[in-house]
Amino acid sequence: MRWEQLNEVVKVRADFRGGIITPLLVKRGQETVRIREVNTRWIDSQGRHRLCYFSVTTDAGDIYQLRFHGGDMTWTLEYVMFEG
Amino acid sequence: MDAGVRDVRGVTSPPVWSEGRAILHLDIDAFFASVEQIRNPRLRGRPVIVGTGVIASCSYEARRCGLAAGMSLAQARRLCPDATVLPGHAQTYRCFAEEIFSLAGRLAPSLETYLDEAYLDLTGTGGIHGDFLRAGAWLRMEALRRTGLSVSVGIGSSRMIAKLVTRRVKPDGIGFLPPGAEAAFLEPLAVSEIPGVGSVTGRLFGRLGIRTVRDLRRVPEPALRELLGPGGRDLHARAWGRDTRAVTRREIPGSIRRETSFEAPTIETQILVGMLHYLTERALLAARSLGIAARGVHVFVHYLEGPTQARRVTLEAASSGQERIFRAARTLLAPLLQRRAAVIRLGIELSGFGWSPGEQPSLWTEGGRAERGGASGDAIDLDRSVDRVRRRFGFSALVRGPSLELLERVPRDPYGYVLRTPCLTR
Repeated sequence: MRWEQLNEVVKVRADFRGGIITPLLVKRGQETVRIREVNTRWIDSQGRHRLCYFSVTTDAGDIYQLRFHGGDMTWTLEYVMFEG
Repeated sequence: MDAGVRDVRGVTSPPVWSEGRAILHLDIDAFFASVEQIRNPRLRGRPVIVGTGVIASCSYEARRCGLAAGMSLAQARRLCPDATVLPGHAQTYRCFAEEIFSLAGRLAPSLETYLDEAYLDLTGTGGIHGDFLRAGAWLRMEALRRTGLSVSVGIGSSRMIAKLVTRRVKPDGIGFLPPGAEAAFLEPLAVSEIPGVGSVTGRLFGRLGIRTVRDLRRVPEPALRELLGPGGRDLHARAWGRDTRAVTRREIPGSIRRETSFEAPTIETQILVGMLHYLTERALLAARSLGIAARGVHVFVHYLEGPTQARRVTLEAASSGQERIFRAARTLLAPLLQRRAAVIRLGIELSGFGWSPGEQPSLWTEGGRAERGGASGDAIDLDRSVDRVRRRFGFSALVRGPSLELLERVPRDPYGYVLRTPCLTR
């Protein structure tokens, strides 16, 4: 089992209600991936900007690590977990 | 459970303790491995090892196979072939720890933190919390809710007692030792459990037939001082449960260490020198942010086939300048690379800290250039400017010097090159 680094800029539909960010859908090119569950989240900073990290499980059972950059409001698909 | 320690996990009406000296010790259970298990739900319930070369952390499932931190990965794989081995990501672990430490910081002003544990002085907070045990239970509950990590908590009348209680209620437990029960609790314990008894003192005690705290108490204090120096007096006091060490936010750390292992072992001098430059930058960024300068520089390499080799130097004057410290580090590294053996891990440790000399330039320096903090004024100005840029735009915003060699060759993330070994400031 290993994390494959992608660092791919993606579009994400997310819920920001109550000050809690919850990613719901990830759009990678033409493909839309629905997020089944947020496994965990943590916060870091890059310079003066906040970075929000999410480990999520998709409907297909894949595990992604997403990063939301609070400065430029972009989402990055950082890692995908692979078996083997 | 040892005599006196009261495990209160799951107890609905624990006794109330709100007066006198009370120290809370918290320990994040199987820290790195637990973070990996919550990042990746497929790992839950399975043996997980975090480490390269040796085990840095392993899950409780792995511990049931006999694995422990510090064991070589080769031995770990023999004992637990099903274990998932991950190299780890220090920056992610730091974020989780800080979340928990920030919760702990809400309970009391004095918080002393380490990599995966912390001490908290609850003395005098009884009026706020009502009960120290309730405060500990809240901390565990909030840590679990906010991070998914389980935390064990021990409360006692001193740091030593609190930590010994935590050891007895781990994992996922909370317990306390009522005030006054310390001496009876300590008496049957192995002497190695007492802080200050390391491997050398432990062997010495073994030769003298001192195996338990009871045995240690029979040795008069002057004899312990004769044997161990000034530390003998503290050890004698601790054997009777007297430990007055304060919980303090450490202003000057003993050492700052930055190290990494390589995904593929390397003999390339450019990569190794580049990584040493980068590690030096990371260590000095931490030092400069604390306003401290180092005199001790220690460089170590671990060869693929062979033990760790290290070299150290003490500088004439303390410095927090990249140019000065890296020059010393590179000089130390050169003979370590003459062996032409593949290197799997490389690191630097700075020590001998004092407050940085500050902004006052010296009038009498070579070539008439002002000198501050043990480095030329121009170089220090450059370091500070680089720090400012990095604080604003992130560490990756600037790459300089020999660490440019690492571009495209070592994985990067927003914090810079990915370090595979947890970094310590202690």
